[in-house]
Amino acid sequence: MLANLALGFSAFADPMVWGALVFGALVGYLIGAIPGLGPSLGVALLIPFTYGVDPVVSIVGLVALYAAAEYGGAITAVLINSPGTAAAVATAWDGYPLTQQGRAGEALTVSIVSSGVGIFVSTGLLILTAVPLSEFALNFGPGEYFGLALVGLSLVAGLSDGSPIKGMVAMGIGLAMATIGLDVQIGVPRFTGGNYELFEGLPLVPVLLGLYALSEVLFMIEDGASAKIKSAAVGGLTSVPYFALKGLKTVILRSSILGYVIGVIPGAGASIASFVSYAVTKRFSKTPELFGKGSLEGVASSEAANNSAVAGAMAPLLALGIPGSATTAVMIGALMVQGIQPGPLLFTRSPEIPYTVFASLWVGVPVMIFIGLAGARVWAQVANIPRPAIAAIVAGICFVGAYSSETTMFPVHVMTVCGILGYVLRKLGVPLAPIILAMVLGEMMETNFRRALISNKGEWDIFYTSPLTVLLLVIAFLAFALPGIAAMRARKARAATA
Amino acid sequence: MTFLNFKSTAIGLVGAAAFAIGLSGPAMAQDTWQPTGPVNFVLHTKPGGGVDVFSRTLAKELEPIINQTIVVVNTPGGGGASQMAKVRAAKPDGLTLGVNTVTHFTGMLTNLRGTFSPDDFEWIALAQEDPIMFFVSKESELNDMKDLVALAKENGGEVNIGGFGPVGSMQNIGMTMLEESAGVKFNWVAFESTPDIIAAVLGGHVDVGVSNLGPALTFFEADRLKGLGVLGEKRLKTLPDMQTFGEQGFEVDTSWIQVRGVFGPKGMPLELQQQIADAIHKAMAADSYQTYARAAGVEDSDYGPEKYAVFVKNLTKVAEAQLAAAGLIAN
Repeated sequence: MLANLALGFSAFADPMVWGALVFGALVGYLIGAIPGLGPSLGVALLIPFTYGVDPVVSIVGLVALYAAAEYGGAITAVLINSPGTAAAVATAWDGYPLTQQGRAGEALTVSIVSSGVGIFVSTGLLILTAVPLSEFALNFGPGEYFGLALVGLSLVAGLSDGSPIKGMVAMGIGLAMATIGLDVQIGVPRFTGGNYELFEGLPLVPVLLGLYALSEVLFMIEDGASAKIKSAAVGGLTSVPYFALKGLKTVILRSSILGYVIGVIPGAGASIASFVSYAVTKRFSKTPELFGKGSLEGVASSEAANNSAVAGAMAPLLALGIPGSATTAVMIGALMVQGIQPGPLLFTRSPEIPYTVFASLWVGVPVMIFIGLAGARVWAQVANIPRPAIAAIVAGICFVGAYSSETTMFPVHVMTVCGILGYVLRKLGVPLAPIILAMVLGEMMETNFRRALISNKGEWDIFYTSPLTVLLLVIAFLAFALPGIAAMRARKARAATA
Repeated sequence: MTFLNFKSTAIGLVGAAAFAIGLSGPAMAQDTWQPTGPVNFVLHTKPGGGVDVFSRTLAKELEPIINQTIVVVNTPGGGGASQMAKVRAAKPDGLTLGVNTVTHFTGMLTNLRGTFSPDDFEWIALAQEDPIMFFVSKESELNDMKDLVALAKENGGEVNIGGFGPVGSMQNIGMTMLEESAGVKFNWVAFESTPDIIAAVLGGHVDVGVSNLGPALTFFEADRLKGLGVLGEKRLKTLPDMQTFGEQGFEVDTSWIQVRGVFGPKGMPLELQQQIADAIHKAMAADSYQTYARAAGVEDSDYGPEKYAVFVKNLTKVAEAQLAAAGLIAN
């Protein structure tokens, strides 16, 4: 393995490889930061540029782009509450409040450093565990996926501040939205009103843009030009005192491991990793009351996890040829153009490919952090742009981002409706996060629930005969019930002392 | 402007000169497709899938032949409807073309019935044929189609077959054809991507998987999967040991194969269609395309507009009969 790893690093003797790394990282930051353009689109757009380029050079560029785009989503999430990707939604929960408090630079620095550490740690795990963990992930059948989706939902059910009822309402809206479209098993249209554009369900990116970004624009218009945030100057590396980062050490490490493991499971990508790790971090935090109001721990957990999921998603891709995320699915296409077929033989047939991926993920970390920190000084100034201008820019991004996701007007309409919906819900104090999460997990939950029953002849025992499923269902139950039980105990204790 | 004028004048002069000499020069010039601007390839899928890689690889080889840029436009949504709407609304000048699969035909018979019909379009060229096959994990006790059918008979249809798309999808119809031919019933488990199907077969979550060769190829080479049979007229060149359904005694309509073709809006002159088809088939002969196609495990097709239109008619007829038999559409 060490010899192969050396082979991987030796690729960096070629200046072209460095060029590809920097180019990929820069393009990735940009694409990730633009809402509506995500890492999978970025990788697809880069594919034509890899024709005729050495496979090693192109794979380094693509991997750098993937990792940087997964980070880039955080920039707009923190600064203008418009997560560039679904995986950056959790970053916006605390990042944007920090910006409103004039701490944009701090939030950006923490997000960059957490992302970098996340990739570094998870790449180490990838090198050691890619093959065995990917084989283990094959044990995930429909029952297990159903359990996993349920864990995600119940972890996040406890996230919403204030009224749990309103949190439940939001989750119900999200689950209802997830049912729209062609039924996955028998192909019957549901709640489409005969409109074929709804056949594939509500598109996630326009919903995300509308609920978060466009509704924010409406709030900005309502507040008028008077409200202006003054962002504190960003001092590069020194803007976050070393001890603050040191305090986040445990959070970053735990989130990285969690993000990696969730990333390995095919179908559970960066967004689920960041949601789950955010929820877990809040549970373990000494200051859970800060979450959602500007917690650096929140930013760190989400960013460390969604970037580790990048390395995680690489594991089944490299070890088995099964993509762990939408972006790695695109990457299979990119490799095939190069005449490389990812699959169970990749490590034996062309070891230079997986080991170059490992090396480039590691070498890419300092490059990414450097570009990110240098850029943070510039990006943080976005918060100082006058409100009306910001509102206009964000609205523009919303419309362009929605249109470019499918190159038709339909997603633009979806985005606009969701923008108004988001505005109304926020006025009513209904949290938006559970809606997005329920949309992502609802589909996964329903599809696998039905797939489990169909493949088990309609018998329910599939949900309690597999130890892995039982374990996941128990975790889901505890995550849902424990906060309630704790609250009840506290009430009893109060009653006893009174 | 002046340059363009000069160019067209120059072409005119060359043409006139050739005509004057009495060579077949002008006819040759007309035979090649010369689009007047960038060509749009409209796809019904997101970037990165099989259709996307095919289109981008083809576009790259096609560009130097036609001296124009090709823009690949991803228009997912509506199970192909967004793309078909875009192609149908375009001018039939060859500058807007769509890439289609069998899903387009099954869609137009089911959910998109009444919205689109094959007669709304010109079916210009067939590029790839990609038969589907049934496979199991190496550990499975099944070794061929006969074992599979015997197991289904024994269990009264309790054999899980995992494939792409809901009931009524291309691969699901392939399964129902086998059901008819063998007189058994299977249990269809729908998946949304081929790698998911392979993972489910390897993990033992379904008994049998259905897919095209490409995505499964390395799993065969790594000795993790076993082929049961291929739904096609001939065996696959890459996996010559796997018998066809017919060889194993199960007669099915072997024209039921996955395809990738190019179509355009109604009313495109047949001559232009032929030129487009010729250019596409010429681009497919390029080395880089051939490398890709062999790795993807697909067979090349040289069907132009006339043959492809007949092919589409036949395919639609087969699909209609199968969907009606399955009770999914009224006959």
